Amino acid sequence: MKPHEFKLTEDGIRAVLPPLEADIMEHMWKVRVATAGQVYEYMKKKHPEIRRSTVSILMNRLCEKGLLERTVDRGRGGMRYVYSVTTTREEFEENVVKSILDALMNNFREATYAYLSKMKK
Amino acid sequence: MIYLLPALEILMVIHEMGRFGALLLASSGGALTLMYFLAGSRKIGKRMIPVDREEMEWLHEGITRLSKRAKIKPPKVYLLDDYIPNAYSFGNNIVLSLGLFEVLDEEGILAVAAHELGHIKNRDTRLFPIVMYLRFLMMTLTGAVLLLGSPLAKVSSLILYIAYEVERSKFMKKREFKADRAALKILDVPLSLKRALEELKYYEDLRASVKVNGIPSIEPGIDRDERTRSRLIDTHPSYEERIARILMYSNILNFQIK
Repeated sequence: MKPHEFKLTEDGIRAVLPPLEADIMEHMWKVRVATAGQVYEYMKKKHPEIRRSTVSILMNRLCEKGLLERTVDRGRGGMRYVYSVTTTREEFEENVVKSILDALMNNFREATYAYLSKMKK
Repeated sequence: MIYLLPALEILMVIHEMGRFGALLLASSGGALTLMYFLAGSRKIGKRMIPVDREEMEWLHEGITRLSKRAKIKPPKVYLLDDYIPNAYSFGNNIVLSLGLFEVLDEEGILAVAAHELGHIKNRDTRLFPIVMYLRFLMMTLTGAVLLLGSPLAKVSSLILYIAYEVERSKFMKKREFKADRAALKILDVPLSLKRALEELKYYEDLRASVKVNGIPSIEPGIDRDERTRSRLIDTHPSYEERIARILMYSNILNFQIK
């Protein structure tokens, strides 16, 4: 996933993902595979007012962004969608840094070089 | 009225175009009948998986129980590989999308299934395709009259077509309300249908809001913009209309039970 915007005022992955999506991803990187129902149970503890629909929409949005993958699982209790992470957190962070640095180099090449060389010292 | 308007259009085509009109009518009628049977035999799509009784006993048993109460043969139930919550019926079959299972609990899913059983009981699964094919026939005949008919026939044909669309919309909405009413009579908890519709409305609003604003939030989006939809030819009543009627029918049912 290539971030389209970077929020300077937010911490961690919230800088590139909306807060609820970031919460879901934090959890998904821990568990790696989960159903929307399981993620809903986790999210409810943090956001008691959240609804199943919200979690389902956000998880499918994360699929569209390429961070999650949806597959049909036939297990106990019948057929259901199971979501799994497509990248590790480290790979995701690497991608974010690469995208931002590429954008900076394309738009402010000299200033970026100057700043990076200062940082090295 | 839904059948009278196409009959009037047919009479007008024959009167206006004589033998050519009769030929046009026979060929378009034949083509639509063929389409009706072909479509009927190909409705089971690749993404539709029959419900396994062992895997989803609660769903199978729930639908069988509701069918008995509705005094109809239990339908065949399919699951659709689609993350958008959706349900529909055709013939004696019910299709529930997997997305439905993500946003509704078991009670809500059975409520949605009960609405589809209502359509089957009310014979809508047989009626709706006929109404749809009559619409295609109306379109074809109106198009032919607009191209080849006299000025008076052109105006009359157009009026008949518009009247048919309005009538079709009224007819389809009435059948949706009737299916809700049938569902309320067979559900263990009649208001579970209201709760399911509220959740589905919430889903639709939120999804539209996320699409437009790109900012997901917990709060539902604003109600759908009524100006963008033509109430005159909509075939489905809004969630609000259905919920209001469900509350009304529930009160009547409670009163009858007491």
